[in-house]
Amino acid sequence: MLKHLKKLFEERKLFGWTYLLISIGLLLLFTASKGIFMREALFLKQCLWLILGTVIAAFVKKADYRDFQKLAPLFYIIILFCLVMVLFVGRGSGASRWIRLGWFNFQPSEFAKLITIITLAAYLSEKDIRRPHILLFSLFIIGIPFLFILKQPDLGTAFIFILVFFAILYQAGGSKGQILTLFVIGVLSSPVLWFMMKPYQRERILTFLNPMRDPLGKGYNLIQSIITIGSGGFWGRGFLRGTQTKLAFLPEYHTDFIFCVLAEELGFFGVMLLLFIYYMFFRIIVGIIYSTRDRFARLMGTGILTALVSQAVINMCMTMGLFPVVGIPLPFISYGGSSLIVSLICVVLLVNIEENSLMF
Amino acid sequence: MEKERIFVNLTKIAFAIIILRSFYLQVIRYPYYRNLSNQNCIRTVETGIPRGTIYDRNMRVLVKDAPSLHLVFVPYDVESPEKEASILANIIDLDKVSVMRRFKTRYGNPFDRVFLKRRLTQEEVARIEEYAARLPGIFIQEGLIREHVLGKNTCHVVGYTGEITEQQLLSYRDRGYKPGDFIGQDGLERFYDEYLRGQAGGKQIEVDATGHQRKELGKTGSVPGDDLVLTIDQVIQEIAYDELGDRRGCVVAMDPRNGQILALVSKPGFDVNDLQSYLEREGHPFLNRAIKGMYSPGSVFKIITELAALESGTIEEYDRIECTGQIEVADRVFHCWKEEGHGWVDINLAFPYSCNVFFGTVGLKTGVARMLEFADMFDLGRATGIDLPGEKDGYLPDRREIDPLNLSIGQGPILATPLQLLSMISTVANGGNIWKPYLVKEIISPDGGKIKEIDPVIKKTVYISPENMEILRRGLKNVVLFGTGGQARVAGVEVAGKTGTVQRAHRELEMGTHGFFVCYAPADNPQISLVVFLDSASSPECSAIAGKILQRVLVPEKKPVEIQDMEEGTENAETP
Repeated sequence: MLKHLKKLFEERKLFGWTYLLISIGLLLLFTASKGIFMREALFLKQCLWLILGTVIAAFVKKADYRDFQKLAPLFYIIILFCLVMVLFVGRGSGASRWIRLGWFNFQPSEFAKLITIITLAAYLSEKDIRRPHILLFSLFIIGIPFLFILKQPDLGTAFIFILVFFAILYQAGGSKGQILTLFVIGVLSSPVLWFMMKPYQRERILTFLNPMRDPLGKGYNLIQSIITIGSGGFWGRGFLRGTQTKLAFLPEYHTDFIFCVLAEELGFFGVMLLLFIYYMFFRIIVGIIYSTRDRFARLMGTGILTALVSQAVINMCMTMGLFPVVGIPLPFISYGGSSLIVSLICVVLLVNIEENSLMF
Repeated sequence: MEKERIFVNLTKIAFAIIILRSFYLQVIRYPYYRNLSNQNCIRTVETGIPRGTIYDRNMRVLVKDAPSLHLVFVPYDVESPEKEASILANIIDLDKVSVMRRFKTRYGNPFDRVFLKRRLTQEEVARIEEYAARLPGIFIQEGLIREHVLGKNTCHVVGYTGEITEQQLLSYRDRGYKPGDFIGQDGLERFYDEYLRGQAGGKQIEVDATGHQRKELGKTGSVPGDDLVLTIDQVIQEIAYDELGDRRGCVVAMDPRNGQILALVSKPGFDVNDLQSYLEREGHPFLNRAIKGMYSPGSVFKIITELAALESGTIEEYDRIECTGQIEVADRVFHCWKEEGHGWVDINLAFPYSCNVFFGTVGLKTGVARMLEFADMFDLGRATGIDLPGEKDGYLPDRREIDPLNLSIGQGPILATPLQLLSMISTVANGGNIWKPYLVKEIISPDGGKIKEIDPVIKKTVYISPENMEILRRGLKNVVLFGTGGQARVAGVEVAGKTGTVQRAHRELEMGTHGFFVCYAPADNPQISLVVFLDSASSPECSAIAGKILQRVLVPEKKPVEIQDMEEGTENAETP
């Protein structure tokens, strides 16, 4: 049995690191659920999500990733439909991000991320990005879901879209001129964005710049988040022994601020450990991307890598006051079904790419 | 592979930043944060949500925020609930059991402040401060209360604020309310809550072991809400309140030319800052009778009966009917309020005398359907749409539910709010326009900028032939000149109106009557219309109140006219 597991681990390194990350997430959710707000239901729910996610992943695993290249336009249209739905029937505090489906909430923007990556990769796999109209159409592909998500509003995910676009553009061979031009246009149009933002979003950005601006509301979260991380020290307070999260100083510690739970209970050491695991995980992905010669696979891999890395980095940075609080989950670790399932599908797609590249 | 290197290096840089930051927070600044965390010493203090000021039409202040001191506690900081509760019960007017109950409730965040008692008196503040050392976790906090400049006078118009309920928290999720917030619960405070409500100010403080402030970490200024400018005229409002005395009932005054409400008083009222003690008082102090009370209109309905009969041609102006004091229909005897009868009368006499036999006979001829059609035309049975929450629709019966005799004199299962009857008389006054009554004419921001101006709205126009309208208006004048509404006469101004007294025949315990008087003045150039409703009285008292109000409003310099002995009668419509 153990031998079997070891073999699996060696052959499918990516799965190994993935499930290591997920286990850490479950442990953190478990300890977080022991606070004055009993959140055991969340822990159990996440276990259910994991099982469901694994089943879905197993199905995707059987498929050839190149099928996705053909199916991309269909998925793309379906997800656009879902994003429009969200604007009408969506729920969530202050923003509409979820669609209620029976007993769970479905968050289309998570799926939109992956599907847009696949669609863009499929489109560019046969086209030359250097030609202006191709670039324009690529912008179009990413722009529609981007605007819908901005409208929800889900600033964090929208920002990830931008990063993903630049990464794919670069990987596809976009010229420095193109990248620079788009970057400058983006920077110049950000004031327009500022006026399109909802008041609470502006407030968040201002709060990020000066947390003491709003000590009762958003600033409160950030101040408490930083205290929580700092109080962990080098070795942490010990597993299950954190006080900040247990006493509910910090709201949302099971989702966007789960990093604080780690930092408080396992300290700087725990943070280093998590970063090491993430780093290994990402290195393997980079390895997979450059082991394949299939252009579609490489572009898709790049998009997935960028999305995962930037989510992890932005989430950690925001809890430490290095980035505005935008509501991005920590991949594989934060509570949330949609995020976990999408991340698992990403991993399976990467593993598929790896297997196929070995055949060449 | 250059690209590969770039992706890996970017990741490395990002991770390095995270490690450095984490090192700074967790190793270098560790003692500081560990200390903050160990003492759990950060508390949030809110200083109340400011609300906008409410002005009358001439910018006189009716309601404003006033500073006040509240008693609060922080669940986490209360050391010995039992002991502290008994100290509190001894020194101020609080019940130990209820304090204990509040202490023991589980709160969402044990560091949030929970109210124990609002509006502390100077004396209470002094006593609490004296015992402060023995009351860890219990504090005095600045806050805001609503001050009604006219006291109880404006309670029904303005309404009151109260702690948000669970239900409201759920249904207004998106508006950013928090548990414990005060929001408008009735009246204009509720209807215009979105505008009136400002943003809470507050501060985050570092506290010592007993929860007392050590250092202020940050502060947010509060943002005041928007102000309302009402159509209410403070002077008329006060006159109405004054003249209503301590009777149960209501007075509403309106400008019939645009639907602006000039005064709205309902009695008994309540103290907006002491709701608790009015909960069990008699006379339904929280009921705004003007919009939520539904009553049979009684003889006031004869306005509709007359119009229906004349317009449909059932009778002509000079058709006469003999009133012998009663008529028999089938096996029932139907009485006029005047036992000996009015003799031979036409509509020009029957209306001022409010002759039941005449109108009953006319009603029989006109038919229920036609009368109901006219009632519906005047929007009876439909809420007027005034900008107050909870307005009632009144009730217009189905034609099978009511017989023509009862309907013609406004008895039986037909119900109207005083405001609906005011709307009806105003429509007669202005010649046929049904204006939507409203209370707020302007919303302004705290810096004086205009946010919204509310224009008068004509809901619909009723067409009545000029000749018949003239007959009705002459009748209304005569009601005051020599008919049942003589008490409403005002020297120097001609008043036109109609009385109504209804016997609450089917209630065994209360056999009293309620009375109405609806009117407008000056009769030939109406500037104000008025409804006076009294809960247990008859119409002459109502018309007397109306007369005094009109006299003080329209000709304040003159003394009230001496009213000669009039033929006074209560026009009780008896339903056997």
